[in-house]
Amino acid sequence: MEIRSGENCSYVAICSGNGCKVVSVRDGRICPEEEQVPDSVRLGRDARFDIVYIVLPGASCGISLRVDLDGEGAEANVSGIYLCNGQDEVRINMDVSHNVPHCNSRQLFKGLAAGASKADFYGKITVAQDAQKTEAYQENHSILLSDAARVDTKPQLEIYADDVKCSHGATVGRLNEEEQFYMRSRGIPEDEAKVLQQLSFLSPVLEHIADEAVRNEAESMVESAVRNI
Amino acid sequence: MDEKTEKDILQDIASQEYEHGFVTDVEQEFIPKGLNEDIIRLISAKKDEPQWLLEFRLEAFRRWQKMKMPTWAHLDIPEIDFQDIIYYAAPKKDSDRPKEIDPELEATFEKLGIPLNERAALAGVAVDAVFDSVSVTTTFRKALADKGIIFCSFSEAVKEHPDLVKKYLATVVPIGDNFYSALNSAVFSDGSFCYIPKGVRCPMELSSYFRINARGTGQFERTLIVADEGSYVSYMEGCTAPMRDENQLHAAVVEIVVEKDAEVKYSTVQNWYPGDAEGKGGIFNFVTKRGICKGSGSHLSWTQVETGSAITWKYPSTILKGDNSSSEFYSVAVTNNFQQADTGTKMIHIGKNTRSRIVSKGISAGHSQNSYRGLVKMLPGADNARNFSQCDSLLIGDRCGAHTFPDIQNANRTAVVEHEATTSKISEDQLFYCNQRGIGPEEAVGLIVNGYAREVLSKLPMEFAVEAQKLLSVSLEGSVG
Repeated sequence: MEIRSGENCSYVAICSGNGCKVVSVRDGRICPEEEQVPDSVRLGRDARFDIVYIVLPGASCGISLRVDLDGEGAEANVSGIYLCNGQDEVRINMDVSHNVPHCNSRQLFKGLAAGASKADFYGKITVAQDAQKTEAYQENHSILLSDAARVDTKPQLEIYADDVKCSHGATVGRLNEEEQFYMRSRGIPEDEAKVLQQLSFLSPVLEHIADEAVRNEAESMVESAVRNI
Repeated sequence: MDEKTEKDILQDIASQEYEHGFVTDVEQEFIPKGLNEDIIRLISAKKDEPQWLLEFRLEAFRRWQKMKMPTWAHLDIPEIDFQDIIYYAAPKKDSDRPKEIDPELEATFEKLGIPLNERAALAGVAVDAVFDSVSVTTTFRKALADKGIIFCSFSEAVKEHPDLVKKYLATVVPIGDNFYSALNSAVFSDGSFCYIPKGVRCPMELSSYFRINARGTGQFERTLIVADEGSYVSYMEGCTAPMRDENQLHAAVVEIVVEKDAEVKYSTVQNWYPGDAEGKGGIFNFVTKRGICKGSGSHLSWTQVETGSAITWKYPSTILKGDNSSSEFYSVAVTNNFQQADTGTKMIHIGKNTRSRIVSKGISAGHSQNSYRGLVKMLPGADNARNFSQCDSLLIGDRCGAHTFPDIQNANRTAVVEHEATTSKISEDQLFYCNQRGIGPEEAVGLIVNGYAREVLSKLPMEFAVEAQKLLSVSLEGSVG
């Protein structure tokens, strides 16, 4: 897919059970028909691309996206939530290439792994030689909720230009026990405290959805999924 | 800084001489070029080895023949003709004085700042000096032996302490572990062996110094360090080679066994010849280093300063098997001109409450490529294990590359892994700040880079820290505008 100079394009991709049916929302309105989410995007000058993936439990799937920033001033925001349970296997593969100077990209992926699920994240930022003044950030955070769950993450940086700001961060961990204690000592039951923690952990991704109606819909979808994990 | 001065300065470093690039003119004994079972038998015979060690070598060779050179690293390695290497080269012993060190060799090490004379030696450092394929001498052996510490060349250890060698050899790096370690297991010549008995705190720093001298050879040393229960040792390693247009291969294996409550600190200052400004020549440094924290409460700490070698492929790793064991990896890797480095670590958490910490600082300048590659693996039994990794890259100039390739695998709910990485250049604000206060651009860069690497340099033993700081400024002096 190509996003031409100055154009904006934003997606919300929802992957649910039965394989991976993709329901998409485009330009702030829910499309009546199911639409294919692109697996490769090229951005022209000053173009902007936003995508939020929501992978619900039961969706064993592979998500792969390649973003090429080909025009100066282009901006890409890629984020996602993955909720894995049971025997789910979710693979996320992000490849962001900064080919020209003055482009920005941001990636934020957060996920929960429960049951005997397995989540794999591979994210790469490539900054070409001469793609100066690039700002590229990538974050991936996961929480393990059960003994049999597994998370592997490979955040990769390949940088050939010097005047850039690039960083990545990755964590795999557990729910914070002090936070739980704080809530429980104020009368919130343990299960509810955990749900609240998980929702607040995931909420930064949902905030990337610009349209309020769509965001509310996504939030309630994620909340009911978290409650059922 | 304007462009012209930047160019001048870059030229200055390019023409900077590699300090240790001289060749020692000493009569040497070589075996024929090439690699086959006969060569391995010849090496083994030269070293007067027992049958079991020959079997070990042959087994490794047979495995190596079936292996392929690894290509996953972010390196551009020219084809290596393994039949075009001399696998054994030793300075000839004077038949009149077989016990004494050749004065020429002594002078060489003296020139490298490694005095072999105990009286003149740096107080508190015992040295095992390896020249091409053989160990020239090991200092302070007596003083150490009084404490029960064994510190000698690997060949001597095979003769004098075969049980210990047999017990620990290849327990950390199995013979078929990887292409280069299998090659090393087949043809390894000398190296150091060190055993610290139960409860002994080694009173001095132990060190190995590796020198490649002969043309057309490779160096394949093997180091084995065993720290028994409750003991402590700090071990340092240094290396240099002459300046040549050809590439020479250095494929070492280092194995470290840390028993219950013992502590090993392993420091490297790697300064092999990096090749000239056009990227011609230099050492290929393909090294396998691995330690195991075998017992509970054991501790292994790696510190490395990598400034040399045309190509570096090196991942000092720790297997955290004992409960409550911990490990650290501190690294500064500097690449300039056409150097390539792919280095990092592996932390394999098996035991409960294991801890690891990784701090890696990459600095690339010129046309060089500098990669951090790391694995942090939490196995299902690693309850409450914890890792923190921090990888920073500094780019100096717009023709170089800095890359970060971590791999995090967590299969334990209670284990926590954190990784963060940043890439940046020396900020103009920092330079301006220094310049404004009368500190010249070159000095300012040295200051900033040293500050940037301080966290790692401060972990080095004192004897090494001075050298490392000097090396950093020599490798990079003024390479920024």
